[in-house]
Amino acid sequence: MSTPPHSVSEFLRAYESGGPLRGFRCPRCRVVTATWGLACSRCGARPLEEATLSDRGRIVAGTIVVVASDEFVNDAPYAYVLVELDGGGRLSGWMPNVHTDEEIAPGTPVQFTPGYKPGVQFARIAPGSAEGTLR
Amino acid sequence: MRETWVVGVGSNRYGKLAETAREAATKVAVEAIDDAGLEPKQIDHTFVANCFGMTEHQGHLGPLINNGLGIPDVPSVTLESACSSSSAALHEAFVHVAGGFADAALVVGVERLGHLDTMTATGYFAFGADYPFETRNGATFPGLYATLASAYRAEFRTTPEMFGAIAVKNHANAARNPKAHFQKEITLRTYLDSPVVASPLRLYDCCPFSDGATAVVVAAREAFPHPRNEPLVVRASVRAGAVTDLQDRTDLLGLPSSRLAGEKAFRQAKLAPGAIDFVEVHDCFTIAEVLALEDLGFFPRGTAAREALEGTTARDGRLPVNPSGGLKAKGHPVAATGAGQVVEIFEQVNGRAPDRAVPRTETALAHNVGATGGSCSVHIFGRR
Repeated sequence: MSTPPHSVSEFLRAYESGGPLRGFRCPRCRVVTATWGLACSRCGARPLEEATLSDRGRIVAGTIVVVASDEFVNDAPYAYVLVELDGGGRLSGWMPNVHTDEEIAPGTPVQFTPGYKPGVQFARIAPGSAEGTLR
Repeated sequence: MRETWVVGVGSNRYGKLAETAREAATKVAVEAIDDAGLEPKQIDHTFVANCFGMTEHQGHLGPLINNGLGIPDVPSVTLESACSSSSAALHEAFVHVAGGFADAALVVGVERLGHLDTMTATGYFAFGADYPFETRNGATFPGLYATLASAYRAEFRTTPEMFGAIAVKNHANAARNPKAHFQKEITLRTYLDSPVVASPLRLYDCCPFSDGATAVVVAAREAFPHPRNEPLVVRASVRAGAVTDLQDRTDLLGLPSSRLAGEKAFRQAKLAPGAIDFVEVHDCFTIAEVLALEDLGFFPRGTAAREALEGTTARDGRLPVNPSGGLKAKGHPVAATGAGQVVEIFEQVNGRAPDRAVPRTETALAHNVGATGGSCSVHIFGRR
């Protein structure tokens, strides 16, 4: 049960339990954010409205991280991507077993998926799959 | 506001410190105060920048430095603004001196990470990003700038050689700087053959982890009208902020805080970018130099990547960029870096950098970014 506003830990628990992803919507400019805050980072309006974010979206930009920090050292190389979620909000996350820039080209559809470690994990959606088969 | 000058500087060689941050900071503070021709007791306030002192089990560095200088009764504050910490400290010193709250202030930036291994240091660097919403999701510092580089490359036509030319230029400058971490030139081939750190960034796109300490003395003209050195007149001292997380930015083709700080600084100095003779900009990665030059208005959006390749930003080019070697090759001791940029400008203006002298030194700009642009400082300097 959550009492507004979502706490940071609620955001993080959602990443680990497989969602639903937490976010906020600005009451004035309607922008959706996946980052914790008390006021809109764009227009300053508050209080923010709680929002549930889509677990699907498309890659905006990303990188293949080869030199990792200790938390990800056993997973490198991996992809780190910024994703524009369907219905609004951008969320960053990592993608295991993705080793080439071609696999994370802008526009690539991805789905949030519960991972085997803390943090947001995405997987690519197989092209042409209505069911959203992960690969 | 009172006219405010930079009157003395001190810096050690960036690289690996064989002493504690406290020792290094105190030594460069003495050097800067001596350089200014002042006595420590003439310092009214000390501003110390440091990010990772806790790795030495030491916080609250300010009073320790003042103790070591024999001025324990002088107030100090130790502040952190990620990679822009010492330019933030310089801004605080400027505010105090220009506002009449101090006649002379000491700025010290110091960082020591060399006692940590690369993986641990990479982790510490990433703490400057948003830990729960970026770092925990897999971001590293190179990874965040690599994301910006990917966005830039997707939008504008660039080649790896353009970014390589920035690395080659900055290494060539650092090779002539006895205070630089890397005092060796590299070739484009070396750049292109270097391993990927976070695509598209290669090893030679990235600044090193450096240790280092730098100090700057700031004073009011009316209090010290006869400086020993040619002073830098602070024409603008500006800070700006921006939303920290890349996921909350609408535009990935620049750093909003750089644009804002640059616009405000040029307004404060009543100057246009074309009036600046040379610049030290925040090139933690080669893409950062490109974004900085565009954000500050020196080149149109999408065009700055080619300028190093064409020689425009070389020491003898139309706009010399990072004659010190920049963060890229002079080194990036996080909380010392911003003050280090001012040292380069001071040395150029005072003719102390003959091997890497730029042709014109009437006006200069220093641009220093905190992390991926959550904070930014721009200082513009002129002559008396």
